[in-house]
Amino acid sequence: MKKLQSTSLNFSVLSFRSGVCVFVICVCECVAAISGNLRITTVKNSSIRFIIKGRGMPGRGGMGRPPFNRPRVLMLRPPFDLILAEPAFPRCKPAPDDTALTQALLKRHAELCPTPAEQAAVLSLVTKLQTVLDNLVVAPGDFAACQLEEVRQVGSYKKGTMMACKNVADIVVIMKTLPTKEAVEGLSNKVNEELNKLMRAEGLGNVSSACHERGFTVTAASSAVRVLVTTLHHNLRKLEPEVHLDYKVISSHLAAIRHSRWFEENAHHSSIKVLIRLLRDMCARHSGLEPLTPWMIDLLAHHCIMNNPARQVLPINVAFRRALSLLAGGLFLPGCAGLPDPCEAAHARAHTALDLPAQDHAAATAQTLLRVVARGGHRYVLGLQAFEGGKDISTEITVWDGVVVSPLAPAYNETPEPMDTDEKEDEGPDGVAA
Amino acid sequence: MAANNYFGFTHGGTQYGAATAGAAYGGQTGYAVAPAATAATYGTQRAAATGYDTAYQAAAATQAAAHAHAHAAAAAASAYDASKSAYYQQAAAAYPSAAPQPQPAYDTTAKPAYSTPATYAQNNIIIQGGGRAGAGAKAAYGSVYTATTAAASYPAQAYTAPAAQQAKPLYNAATMYVAQQNKTAANTGWKNYNKSGVGAGQARRPKPPPKAQQLHYCDVCRISCAGPQTYKEHLEGQKHKKKEAAAKANSSGGSGAGGRGSGGAALRCELCDVTCTGADAYAAHVRGIKHQKVVKLHTMLGKPIPSTEPTKLSADKEGEKEEDDGEEVQPVGQDYIEEIRGDDGKPQSFNCKLCDCKFNDPNAKEMHMKGRRHRLQYKKKVQPDLEVKVKPSMHQRKLAEAKAQRMLVRDEMWARRRMHEGIEDDERAYWESGAEAWWARGPLPPHMHHHHHGMSMGYGNVGRRPETSDDRHVIARHAEIYPEEQELQQIQRVVSHTEKALKSLSDALAEQAQSKGAAKPQVKVEDKKDDKPEGKEDGRDNQLFSFMGEGEGNNGGSGEANASGTAAAGTVARALKGVMRVGLLAKGLLLRGDKDVRLVVLCHDRPTITLLKRVAADLPQHLHRLKAPNDESKYKVDLLPAEGAVQVSDGTVNVLVSLTSAVMREPAEGGDAKRDDKDVLPRQKCLDALAALRHAKWFQARAASLQSCVIIIRIMRDLCRRIPNWTPLNPYAMELLVSGVMQSAGGALSPGEALRRVMEAVAGGLLLEQGPGLRDPCEKELVDALGNLAPQQREDLTASAQQFLRQIAFRQIHKVLDMEPLPKLKTGGGANSWKFPRKRRRSHTDHDHDTPNGEGKIGRTEEIKAEVADKPAIKK
Repeated sequence: MKKLQSTSLNFSVLSFRSGVCVFVICVCECVAAISGNLRITTVKNSSIRFIIKGRGMPGRGGMGRPPFNRPRVLMLRPPFDLILAEPAFPRCKPAPDDTALTQALLKRHAELCPTPAEQAAVLSLVTKLQTVLDNLVVAPGDFAACQLEEVRQVGSYKKGTMMACKNVADIVVIMKTLPTKEAVEGLSNKVNEELNKLMRAEGLGNVSSACHERGFTVTAASSAVRVLVTTLHHNLRKLEPEVHLDYKVISSHLAAIRHSRWFEENAHHSSIKVLIRLLRDMCARHSGLEPLTPWMIDLLAHHCIMNNPARQVLPINVAFRRALSLLAGGLFLPGCAGLPDPCEAAHARAHTALDLPAQDHAAATAQTLLRVVARGGHRYVLGLQAFEGGKDISTEITVWDGVVVSPLAPAYNETPEPMDTDEKEDEGPDGVAA
Repeated sequence: MAANNYFGFTHGGTQYGAATAGAAYGGQTGYAVAPAATAATYGTQRAAATGYDTAYQAAAATQAAAHAHAHAAAAAASAYDASKSAYYQQAAAAYPSAAPQPQPAYDTTAKPAYSTPATYAQNNIIIQGGGRAGAGAKAAYGSVYTATTAAASYPAQAYTAPAAQQAKPLYNAATMYVAQQNKTAANTGWKNYNKSGVGAGQARRPKPPPKAQQLHYCDVCRISCAGPQTYKEHLEGQKHKKKEAAAKANSSGGSGAGGRGSGGAALRCELCDVTCTGADAYAAHVRGIKHQKVVKLHTMLGKPIPSTEPTKLSADKEGEKEEDDGEEVQPVGQDYIEEIRGDDGKPQSFNCKLCDCKFNDPNAKEMHMKGRRHRLQYKKKVQPDLEVKVKPSMHQRKLAEAKAQRMLVRDEMWARRRMHEGIEDDERAYWESGAEAWWARGPLPPHMHHHHHGMSMGYGNVGRRPETSDDRHVIARHAEIYPEEQELQQIQRVVSHTEKALKSLSDALAEQAQSKGAAKPQVKVEDKKDDKPEGKEDGRDNQLFSFMGEGEGNNGGSGEANASGTAAAGTVARALKGVMRVGLLAKGLLLRGDKDVRLVVLCHDRPTITLLKRVAADLPQHLHRLKAPNDESKYKVDLLPAEGAVQVSDGTVNVLVSLTSAVMREPAEGGDAKRDDKDVLPRQKCLDALAALRHAKWFQARAASLQSCVIIIRIMRDLCRRIPNWTPLNPYAMELLVSGVMQSAGGALSPGEALRRVMEAVAGGLLLEQGPGLRDPCEKELVDALGNLAPQQREDLTASAQQFLRQIAFRQIHKVLDMEPLPKLKTGGGANSWKFPRKRRRSHTDHDHDTPNGEGKIGRTEEIKAEVADKPAIKK
């Protein structure tokens, strides 16, 4: 396919120098974008004829397609990924002994898993809250502050990736009505009241509920549940900033539902969950990686474990190295395809949620950590061992067997002048990159 | 019934239904019911209205002629009487059964008022028309439509009049009923007229001020005027005419809206002809001074005063119902009304946050919460599915209809498009699966699926892409480091001379050997001379430049022996078999400032120091012989036994000529080897030279064919030269690295992308100890081409690449390339650059911009090679 396509392209570019040429590029890029057209190229067996035809029917089949007003197709490439590039780089020396790393990873994971007591505490609170909310959905009674459409569990609790000592589960409440601050407050009060009734009936301690900009959090003795408020999808455009919760927050909660659904379907393998815990812990302990959202980490972990030529689950040590290596190799840098977000419209990249300095910092941190791990410093990176009294190893110069590993300077600097247009697209949302 | 025979009946009946039937002769039975009912219903009212009726009819009489004309337009003047009587008959026929009032009664009331029977007849007819219409309206209480139809049908009756005339005798008997009908019609007519105004179009005209009238009352406008003058003025006034026209239009238009169906009118005060939107408003109206005035006036006139119960228009039944519900509307949005309390803690005022308004009164707050505006806001801001009554006006309804229409069209369009796209998807799936298969079979590694499901496009399927700023920088830097034409020419000349000298040396050696062994026939030399022009002059195609003539066999010269027919055993193989360019020269990787190039001479046997010395000694004279007469350059030949090579130098360019032989790869065997050991050139050097040969061949076969590969290797060479961290990376390892990275991309890369990808690979730890290493494809065993890089060197390399990668990502590729940042494209930034493919072309010819066509052959060939290498697609 590729061959045919580029053949036609080159041929036409060489053959024409006039305005037709312009068209050739457009058409061929369209061809790249819409492989449906490819048939024509191959059938006609002559790109010129195809091109002329193409000009004759500019709107061909593309009523909604922006014809050529946005012809710059920006194809971002995935970064170099050694696992995928294996045929080009066959191993020519014995694989390193990685048992130490594997042991360390498993040990750390055991530490990160929540204890059964913690799990039980969260479970009991979530169940009660779910009951209360379900009641409100089914029989709101005199509760008029808002109408609930649906209640869903999301986040790490739902995905089974909760971490020890972080007993916060997430529940998304979809309101039929618009999520005004008063509605959230009303719901919070109602839930608090009902939940306390339940707790009293079971002779448990009281819960308290506090509103914040995402919804409210119900806190019990040893666990908490964040109730994230959102609304029906078609209500989104009716939101007004001063009356309702923030649009971004609302839609992120809707996205959270999609994420947990995707996760359920695609990333249920326990290796992925193990890697997610390890990565989340690692990111939390290194300032540069902190901005990575749980969703990015989920996607990264899934990619590292599952995306390989054999489609087999990779061992945890390989996947961990791969994650670091991808981050260091610029997976989350501008101009890179990164990880496509399966829960957003096509061509959305997961990492665009990070701002540019954060992307730079994250990459630099991962690069340093990669080199530290390569020198055998994984115990520090994983947090099995505190580095010099809790310092962030990614910002310190370290010496391993005489090899000096030093952190890197940030590359991002604020450019006062506006960026080059063609470069700008690298940074922009990927919607434009067809 | 006789009526059935009448043409008029059948005609009118079919057209106008029941109402017309009443008018036509045969309609007696059908029509009679209505007036009867009317009479019964309004009996009481009629009595009250009698006085008025009289007055009105009197007034109407004066205009009778005009009316007759208007309504019986078809009747000729001569047939006037006839038509009159026809009207009589008609009227009578219409109400034969309704005879509660005897004729005398009629006479007493009506007779004094009317001057002539004729005019009376006219009037009668007219009133009858109104009456009938009114009756219709009355019978179907509130159903204005029927009434209007009846009124509209009236002219049709006029048309049938001539026919009726023939039937006159038949109906004479019925004349007595006319009076009764008249009265009934008049009464009901007025009543209905007051209420609905339907059919007023006919009845309204006769309204000139009667002289005897004390009260000047305009029926249309429902006002009384102080005097005839004012009344007249009023009648001529704009306001009156407007109202009249509107009323007329309503009645004749017969629209379903029912005259004053101004859409959502829910409650109407019949008396004042005022429409109220709600019960409250109606109550307010009834209490109001205007209504009271009208009531007073009507009482004075003795006209019927409808009950204060509001009239509900049938068309608005739903609206009423809703409005009734509206009475029970639940107040919404209590939470959004905040109380502002005074000092005493009592609520002083209320603030509705949704509507942004304030009230001081709790009742007002209650009202507000039930109100439409508040509910709309609540719907908008809190509960989108809240039902708020909307009363779409005609305009809005039209808009809504238009919108619905548009939506319909759009839905259809989308459906069609989805279908279309579905087809496209199928096709795409088909072609993609085809592509997958192709890739799997293809020479390149299978296309990597980086994507999760849902991403249907492969990244590899990119054709030409617009040039990015990174590309421009890389290309510009490449142009900077690419050697100048002069340099290239000089190197080319020296190398070429060396090759030719070596050939001539080889010939000389062979001749010598042959003359030693067996006398060589003279022909041989001639043969060789003939061959020369056809064969290569030197090794500029970067392939092995064989020294052997055509007839010369490779092994033992058996071919030659056969050809010459002389003693084959005596023939000695050439000591120097051929020469090949290796290293930078062969790979086309020369950069500006490069002075050292390498040639490898393949020997037949193990090259010995003796041979090397011989070459070093003889080469100068052969070189000298080749020189053009005016060539001043002086070649110097140095013997480098430790390197197993001689170095030819013309002062600027150094050509290292290594001697090696394929047999060096085989382990030296037995005593033979031992004997040679002292004399044979250092083995490692010879093997290196052999490896260099293989590397050059590998490069030409694999690396050079990858797009951007040669450019990036040149750039990387420059990088390795400049940056100490990169110096330990040996050139061959670097070439392997770059070509591997290009290959794994699974598609063509632009220069900028390619450089970034190389950095990504190194930054990701490819060169670290845990990495797979770089397998040397030119060795049978697993050999890491990286060699033994020290850990610190690997570390530094990786760190440096990591920094470079981020610099590239953040638009600082110029720092990586050690150059000034290029200015932005002038053609409106990158946005337009796609329009100018010429620019792109230039990008690929950029590096030979200083090479005009036709000159600088060496540079051209070099460049064309690179060009072709950059476009594997064309080649295929």
